Amino acid sequence: MRAEIYHRTIVSLLVLLLGLPVAATLAYSFATRWGATVLPDGFTLSWYVQLWQDQRFLAAFFRSLVVGFGTLAIGTVVVVPAAFVVFYRFPALDKVMGILSLVPFAVPPVVSSVGLLHLYSDGPLPLVGTPWILVGCDLAIVLPFLYRAQANALGAINLRDLMDAAHILGAGTARAFLMVVFPLLRKGLMASLFLSFSLLLGEFVFANILVGTRYETLQVYLYNVRQVSGHFTSAAVMSYFFFTLVLTWLAARLGR
Amino acid sequence: MSIVEVSGLAKSFGQTQVFQDISFRLKSGELVTLLGPSGCGKSTLLRCLAGLITVDAGRIAVDDRDITGTPAYSRGIGMVFQSYALFPNMTVAKNIAFGLAMQKLPADEIAARSAKVIGLVELSGYESQYPHQLSGGQRQRVALARALVVEPKILLLDEPLSALDARIRKSLRDQIRDIQQRLGLTTIFVTHDQEEALILSDRIFVMDGGRIVQEGTAESVYAEPASQFVARFMGHYNLLDGTQSKALLGIETTGYIAIRPESILLSDHPTETEEGIPGVVRRRQLLGNIIRYSVESTGVSLSVDRLNGSADDLLPEGAAVRLRIDKSILREVH
Amino acid sequence: MKSGLLLIPVLAVLSIFCLAPLLEVAVDSLQTEDGIGLGNYLEILTSPFYRQAFANSLSVSLWSSCLGLVIALFGAASLRRLPGRLRDAVVAATNMASNLTGVPLAFAFIILAGTNGALTLLLRQSGLFGNFDLYSRAGLILIYSYFQVPLALLLLYPAFDALDDDWQAAAALLGARVWHYWLKIGLPVLAPAILGTFILLFANAMGAYASAYALTTGNVNLVTVRIASLVAGNIVLDPDLAAALAVLLVALMVLVTTLSQRLLKKSYHAR
Repeated sequence: MRAEIYHRTIVSLLVLLLGLPVAATLAYSFATRWGATVLPDGFTLSWYVQLWQDQRFLAAFFRSLVVGFGTLAIGTVVVVPAAFVVFYRFPALDKVMGILSLVPFAVPPVVSSVGLLHLYSDGPLPLVGTPWILVGCDLAIVLPFLYRAQANALGAINLRDLMDAAHILGAGTARAFLMVVFPLLRKGLMASLFLSFSLLLGEFVFANILVGTRYETLQVYLYNVRQVSGHFTSAAVMSYFFFTLVLTWLAARLGR
Repeated sequence: MSIVEVSGLAKSFGQTQVFQDISFRLKSGELVTLLGPSGCGKSTLLRCLAGLITVDAGRIAVDDRDITGTPAYSRGIGMVFQSYALFPNMTVAKNIAFGLAMQKLPADEIAARSAKVIGLVELSGYESQYPHQLSGGQRQRVALARALVVEPKILLLDEPLSALDARIRKSLRDQIRDIQQRLGLTTIFVTHDQEEALILSDRIFVMDGGRIVQEGTAESVYAEPASQFVARFMGHYNLLDGTQSKALLGIETTGYIAIRPESILLSDHPTETEEGIPGVVRRRQLLGNIIRYSVESTGVSLSVDRLNGSADDLLPEGAAVRLRIDKSILREVH
Repeated sequence: MKSGLLLIPVLAVLSIFCLAPLLEVAVDSLQTEDGIGLGNYLEILTSPFYRQAFANSLSVSLWSSCLGLVIALFGAASLRRLPGRLRDAVVAATNMASNLTGVPLAFAFIILAGTNGALTLLLRQSGLFGNFDLYSRAGLILIYSYFQVPLALLLLYPAFDALDDDWQAAAALLGARVWHYWLKIGLPVLAPAILGTFILLFANAMGAYASAYALTTGNVNLVTVRIASLVAGNIVLDPDLAAALAVLLVALMVLVTTLSQRLLKKSYHAR
């Protein structure tokens, strides 16, 4: 049918449009040489071998993982009890938290960097140039996200009845939360953690402006090696992209 | 006021055949019901007639003009949907005027014709309301007005009453029939509700498994079911298989014997000498003006309807009765 | 009330790393060499250079948001008509594409459409777009549109569920062509979702920095690029001026959001 052909064409064009840059980068990362021709001369794995033996890349990747894991560990410890307390004790606060959560989304990192540089370059909290400021900024990025995921999960279960039932059966509030409520939130939490991780791996602005090469993370490394070789950078980009793919895939599987 | 002729219509989605070999002819001003259980292909057939779905084979003609390949927007067919399908961003007046606006008619003509149908469906005063501010019955009347205002050659109604509650359903059903007869509009009404079909229709087409299995007036379809399926679907027929009918009536059949519950007579104070088949009342249900008894006789359970008369006539559960069955109104079906 | 203490860490993080810096920016923007005043704002508003930065940011953001929105609208409308498994696969692919942002995105486009990119060569050989320059404002619009499409699609796609297929059928039977239906019913019903998505895309583009910086190393004059170079560049540092630019940028985003909300109030949904 004509309509069906039209819809298929539109979606195919969309996929082509979205896939083209990825496909080109992937091809480039495997190409031996790709100069002034439409197609590459030959294919090789050597760019990946070179990349994964590069100490600077491995170190930057490691630093990104450290900052990411650290941020999410702190984030989980901070958000999970807070979301529970809001829903169990102060449900009216959920709206306030919602509005507060919008701020980190609405304010571009470049804008808050200006204030962060001024506040934390020296004085009582000299964080600029250390990984700690990254952890702090990353926390501000993922907290609203993690909170929202927890809030949605808490809204979907019958929290009050579950807690009452656990109390009647003799569990204290903390125990009831850990044994009854938390297991119900765990899947949603894991999904939001994986998505947050890929979000953090992509963070460039704070890392570049506030820390730069003093604690070089993956994105800053990618930027700094941009002149080395297009093939080498492509291999780095694809390695990073593949990693985030795995993370989003895991999140999607858990979110089901 | 048009004549519709359909011949050899067929449609399948992939491997699944939705309907096949559909042929019928509608007289001008006639209301015909497509009656059948869900999944029998009636709604798809209606959408094919409307031009919303293309058919695989066959021919549709209105007033001797072949419209099989004509797109929906120029078929001149009106349709009312179960979901109302009112445009939520438009007021009642705008919804009703939509078809006229598409014809680029002058504003005063649009206003005049809209006002007329709004009066017809008794919605004066609601012109500037939005659909979400109306009740279900009011919404469906807007949808009806919207379909009528363009003066379609044929009106198609796809289970228009199914989403409404019982009381509204009855009054809107009567209103639809009234308007249809006043305008003399050739109408096809799709429903799965046999009561609705019996009350509304000039003729009923019973559909099953993508085929029209029986067609005729309401009276004939109800009284003379052509098959076991129609008998089951049309009412609360008692269906007896070969062994049951042999035991109860002494009649041999390879199919089924269909007996209407209201055609069995119960005598309350049986004597040994009285004619009829002995039985025992097992259950009693009050259906308003009718009382339905479940009577067991020779291992067969039968439904028997009696008018709800005085309280003295009520038979208690466990009462011994005699059944009298007039063999001339039995039907053998397959 | 003791349990309220558990909220403190969240509020502390947001205060230290989000609210305090924002406040600091507002305060700094009023600091000038001659004490507190509007000197920084005056300097920005009278400077053709900074005015150009705002004009560029606005134009790149508006164009990319509109392009992204239109592509996503067509995409979402067609996506809904595909069989379930294919549709899920495309949504998953879109999710993946939304991961390609910032620096890696700039690289991907340099490889695809840079001076020696495969697409550039292909287009040059075929004689089309002979002079397309990725490292320009047009190039930025292209890249920004790329990251706007998946975002717009993921935001808009669920909104299409509000459209009842019977509306299109009813409209057709009343004589409407497909484009009539979209113009008179489909798009008006989607209006709040479209506008909401547009605000998000626009804010997203106005605040974007990484891909522009990685692509043009600051050669295209954007507000975010100016702000960053005033606090972390290697030529002139003027954090207070950067703060004033930042305040104006946020103010502009707030303004567009408010205008859109106004527009929305006029639609039937508010009634």
